[in-house]
Amino acid sequence: MDIKHYNQKPKRNAKFIKAPNLIKAKVGIGGLSDAIIDRAQKLLESQTEDFRPLGEIYLKQMKAGIDKATALGKPTDSEEMIALILFPCVQLKANGGMFNYPLVTRIAERFVQFMEVVDRLDNETLEIATAFYTTIKIVLASQIKGDGGEQGEALVNELNNACMRYFDKHKDNLHPRER
Amino acid sequence: MSYNFQNLQVLLVEDNKPMLNLIKTVLLSFGVGNVITSLNGEDGFREFCLFNPDLVITDWMMSPGNGLELTHSIRNHPKSPNKFAPIILMTGFSEKRRVLNARDKGITEFIVKPFNARDLYRRMHKIIESPRDFVEAPEYFGPDRRRKRKDEYTGENRRITDKDKVSQINITEIDLI
Repeated sequence: MDIKHYNQKPKRNAKFIKAPNLIKAKVGIGGLSDAIIDRAQKLLESQTEDFRPLGEIYLKQMKAGIDKATALGKPTDSEEMIALILFPCVQLKANGGMFNYPLVTRIAERFVQFMEVVDRLDNETLEIATAFYTTIKIVLASQIKGDGGEQGEALVNELNNACMRYFDKHKDNLHPRER
Repeated sequence: MSYNFQNLQVLLVEDNKPMLNLIKTVLLSFGVGNVITSLNGEDGFREFCLFNPDLVITDWMMSPGNGLELTHSIRNHPKSPNKFAPIILMTGFSEKRRVLNARDKGITEFIVKPFNARDLYRRMHKIIESPRDFVEAPEYFGPDRRRKRKDEYTGENRRITDKDKVSQINITEIDLI
């Protein structure tokens, strides 16, 4: 007699717990007014911290990653190697827009998306990485705050097109999870 | 009537000092009474144990101790004073697999950088007004990872047990219920 079904372990063994809502008890009701949120937003926008020294640190880390991958002299799918280039760029994307450099965020975001889907680093991906690196470096050095206007748009489009051309040519380099 | 954040204690963990100061400024302008700061996950957990804050806002990529490691400690460490503490994870990543990875480590809310004041407020509001149940399972402890609620369905109710439907069905159908 087949008793496998009868003997199988329970599939769910999770307990649900109602957590005490301590914050609600402390803050009361009603939310925050638009005036308070707008004032906070104005403080965000009016901060005068110079992003360039921090941006330079991330750029330096990104360049070190590109150089290390280039020095290998062969393609690599090492997650650590990809992270050496990707992670500083994620920081540029995250911080640029918070410190009045939304164009840095926009360019870095394109590169993050590119790096998230490539399977391995080869000569051409490293060339694309260098193009992004150089462009962000120029944006910071030229202190292009805001979206960069038409020039900014053209830069982003050009870099985006380079990524698209790469994938047209190297469909095999899409990470398996993206295929 | 509006929220009074004066008695609220928030632990803010961020290794980038300008960013730390910026977010602290936003929280203070929301009226948060006490913002404790820390520069990495390991120190962050020490502060968490010391102050038992009402809310934790943490960056992801830090060392020693990143935001997910901090979350794991808060949820699972025997010394954690409040395993249910709400945690907002800030990060530049927005790819789905990264978000799911963070969710599976027990974070409460996820906020993608760069963000604005309203984005941050929305996450706090959600934590205050729509707290999620916690799940305790052999391989996971943290907020319920299922976001969708049963009452989110907006289509037609077609079950004969649905209240409105019962009035429309005939006696034979009622016999079958």
